[in-house]
Amino acid sequence: MSASNRRRRSIFDLIDEYLENLEAWAEGVRETLMERPSWNCRTCSMEPLRDIMVTGDEVIVTVDLPYAEQNTIQVKPVGKDAIEISAKMRRKISFDDFGITHYRGEFQRFHCQTRIPVPVYMDRMEIRFKRGILEIRLPRKHEYEIPVE
Amino acid sequence: MSYRTFEEDKTLNEEIKIIEKKEIPKGTVMIFGFPDVGLVGVIAASHLISELNLEETAYMDSRLLPPIIVLHEGLPHSPIRIFGNNQIILAVSETALREDLIYPIMHALIDWGRSKDVKMMISMSGIPVQERQDLDELKVFAAASSPEMLKTAQDKGLEILKEGYMVGPQAVMLQYCATLGVPALTLLAQCFFNYPDPEAAAKALEQLANLTGVKVDVSKLLEKGEEIRLKARDMMKRTQQELTKMRKTQEYDIPLYIS
Repeated sequence: MSASNRRRRSIFDLIDEYLENLEAWAEGVRETLMERPSWNCRTCSMEPLRDIMVTGDEVIVTVDLPYAEQNTIQVKPVGKDAIEISAKMRRKISFDDFGITHYRGEFQRFHCQTRIPVPVYMDRMEIRFKRGILEIRLPRKHEYEIPVE
Repeated sequence: MSYRTFEEDKTLNEEIKIIEKKEIPKGTVMIFGFPDVGLVGVIAASHLISELNLEETAYMDSRLLPPIIVLHEGLPHSPIRIFGNNQIILAVSETALREDLIYPIMHALIDWGRSKDVKMMISMSGIPVQERQDLDELKVFAAASSPEMLKTAQDKGLEILKEGYMVGPQAVMLQYCATLGVPALTLLAQCFFNYPDPEAAAKALEQLANLTGVKVDVSKLLEKGEEIRLKARDMMKRTQQELTKMRKTQEYDIPLYIS
């Protein structure tokens, strides 16, 4: 941008630009912090895709677990606001299976930890597994209600 | 968020080149398989390429694209490539598309397709549905660029997506084709929002065959469903990030109609 253009810009444009840059920087930092491989050769595990939905009554966590052996699926509460999910795969998966030859490693389980964004009753957790998708339903804990006058 | 001017958009379009590696036949059907919900389009496109032994005939080159190449057998390839035979031209992306690049990329591909006198453009994609894992039979909806194309879809037994929002490459494709008067359809198979969905891709391919006569056996796609879901995890994750940025969940919104 030329110097003459820069002189014509108002303070509001400059503030807008500053906020935009700040937003872009924050987004960049967030993405960088979240960037990591979806696999771990040391623990022979893969991190599954997952999703969380919060409704008025419950929190629904779904996890995509292709090749998971149903009777090995474990969901454990970690404190009050997180759950740990693990499952064994029916077969070992190696990088070779994906045509990748520059890494070495085999995977035989899924593992991940997910934070639950609102208070829930961990002891009333309901779990089902259908079409390779694990669904975990956690009733929400409403600690108090504000009466409507 | 900053917005580009018309002139800036025009410049962006001009910065995208489609390099042809082989002679492109005229009068074919152009199909798009781009990363979106359930990766329906990409999985379907990948299956078409392997089942029909489609050859790479062209690729996209642009400084607008992220500095990514895809290595296949040790050789570099553009993440956005065009495959084909004498019946179809298939544009596919192996990387999630940044929200701000969707317009110039789709416009460049459609302009190029028009220069090849394509008779119709079809985008394969998905429409997310809650409780997807409980659905035994998946529906495929269609949206069209013109009343004539809508009738074509209806005559073929497709259910029409009558009201609602569409977000992503297929939305840009449909609108641009409507503006240019190019016959176009978008096929939307019910699918998972955030998980790769080979079953939905199979349904989209069945309807593609119904519309165009381009038939492929989808049984392998269904047999290899788990393997595909595992392989597609990372691409799905990147696509999820882009879908969030382009506010894909607006497709769940109930629109206020202004007639």
